[in-house]
Amino acid sequence: MTEDASASLRAEGVTLGYDGIDIVHGLDVAIPDGRITVIVGANACGKSTLLRGLARLLRPRGGVVLLDGQAISRLPTREVATRLGILPQQPIAPDGITVAELVARGRHPHQRWFRQWSTDDEVAVEAALIATGVSALAGRTVDELSGGQRQRVWIALALAQGTPLLLLDEPTTYLDIAHQVEVLDLLARLNEEDGRTIVLVLHDLNLACRYADRLIAMRAGCVAAEGAPADVVTPELVADVFDLECHVMPDPLTGTPLVLPVPARRRSSTERNPCLETTTPLAVHA
Amino acid sequence: MTAVVTAEPPGAPASARLVTVRLARGWVSGRVDRRAVVVTLGLVAATAGVFVWSLAVGDYPVPVGRVVGTLLGDDTGGDGFIVRSIRLPRGITALEVGAAFGLSGAVFQRLVRNPLASPDVVGINSGAALVACWVVIIAHGSTAQVAGGAIAGATAAALALYLLAYRRGVSSYRIVLVGIGLTAILTALTNYLFTQAAIYEAQRAFLWLTGSLNGRGWDHVRPVSIALVVLVPVTLGLSRQLRLLEMGDDLSRALGGRVDATRGALLVSGALLAATGTAAAGPVAFVALAAPQIARRLVGGRTLALVPAAVCGALLLVAADLVGRRLLAPTELPVGVVTGVVGAPYLLYLLARSNRLGSGG
Repeated sequence: MTEDASASLRAEGVTLGYDGIDIVHGLDVAIPDGRITVIVGANACGKSTLLRGLARLLRPRGGVVLLDGQAISRLPTREVATRLGILPQQPIAPDGITVAELVARGRHPHQRWFRQWSTDDEVAVEAALIATGVSALAGRTVDELSGGQRQRVWIALALAQGTPLLLLDEPTTYLDIAHQVEVLDLLARLNEEDGRTIVLVLHDLNLACRYADRLIAMRAGCVAAEGAPADVVTPELVADVFDLECHVMPDPLTGTPLVLPVPARRRSSTERNPCLETTTPLAVHA
Repeated sequence: MTAVVTAEPPGAPASARLVTVRLARGWVSGRVDRRAVVVTLGLVAATAGVFVWSLAVGDYPVPVGRVVGTLLGDDTGGDGFIVRSIRLPRGITALEVGAAFGLSGAVFQRLVRNPLASPDVVGINSGAALVACWVVIIAHGSTAQVAGGAIAGATAAALALYLLAYRRGVSSYRIVLVGIGLTAILTALTNYLFTQAAIYEAQRAFLWLTGSLNGRGWDHVRPVSIALVVLVPVTLGLSRQLRLLEMGDDLSRALGGRVDATRGALLVSGALLAATGTAAAGPVAFVALAAPQIARRLVGGRTLALVPAAVCGALLLVAADLVGRRLLAPTELPVGVVTGVVGAPYLLYLLARSNRLGSGG
């Protein structure tokens, strides 16, 4: 992937924060079209804040987020909602709502008061239910589903919205390893089949390396490194971003970087990685 | 123009209740919940029945056939005066006040996602009560001034609620907490007013506080009707945005919702509906709290629909007023006493049930 690949969504010098405290400082980020971009970083480094900023859930204090070249904060909210979908960390399912009804709410930006259930709506919801494998659950209420099923239902809602850009904030949190892989496989398939641009915040670095075309590693509100996982994930980067000693080897299944943290009790006994002795923070800060 | 009405395939049981309607080659379309429509029509029929019955009974009974006759313009005999000038305006006021409370309660409960939230719990009615009592006790105002005071008080309380609960947007649980605090303060101030009152004013203020429909005439019906003609369409028009808001602020915005504007507008319209009802009949207890929940259970325990809640409120109030008039006849009970006696056990049931479920559901 080249640096100048087209990017409909980009942030230019964007500063974001809450209650007068800046969390993300003057960041430049371009989200390559048709790829999977994964944002990683330690807790409280500003990953979710950046994602919320990109999705205009948070108004930048400085700089600008551009969607197809226009400032996203000046576009009508409904128009943005037809181009960019975001699944926040903790969406709320109204009491007693069924799966089919919840997914149908994803169609809101395409509806008007006099046109609340067009054939397009019906087709999109049907397709979203099938793509996420929850058709059989359509009549069940969301409360009675398992965590993995519920997450697929939320993704179905975002799919029904029918946006070329899809942002997801930690979609695998609270899921066991099998369901994490299931959700990520689903997203990879959506990316491959429909060419959707997908942006994810993930905690698991190894899964991030497997599924990302492009990785954005953040530290303290800045970009520490950006690029294909194979190019950027090194012991130095992990030490810099997570303050963690580790070895990095090729994943025997996929060839992507595999990060092996060094447990504390082995640190003194094992030979230290020579790279770590000479660590200088990677100079890719924005 | 052809209408296409199709039922969903029977494969999806809960969705099977939804009926798709498409008109004008799909230009106009929507889905309706068959059971919600049936329940609402049933409630409307029941309300109409109780309403006509309430016009018929009294110290001077009028046969139901004659009631319908006089309503249709038959002017023979003295029944016309009793029905049209005394009982009809009172009945219509009951319908309107009940609908206003029911709709207001549904708006608040959905906005705050809590079945205990209603204008009487979050301080709106207490604000109306404080100012109305001040008008009666200190300013010795007329009935119209009391009504005006109630509206001003409810509006001020809603504003105070919004400002006090505002912190980077308005979160739902803050509305409940701030509202309960607000209710405590306003009630204390109202009680203080009573300690300053002469006996006649105290009695008048207290009757108002209980909630009564006694002696409501066409003068009362007119302003309430005007208020509802404005407020009901505005509130129902916001229902699609309300549906988004239920999924949290972030997802609502993600789907193109205008979060803060919608919440502000719904708070105002919900408060004004409660204020309208309170101005006309006093802060009648429990209707705003119970009507939406009863309607929800009738519709099938799913989403809290606005229209059934309004119709259910109207039915509750007409029925409660009828009971109040006839239970100990010729002594008349204020409608607020009846709704209180029926509503208090219901509130306990709701509390016990939500406790058991461990949530506010």
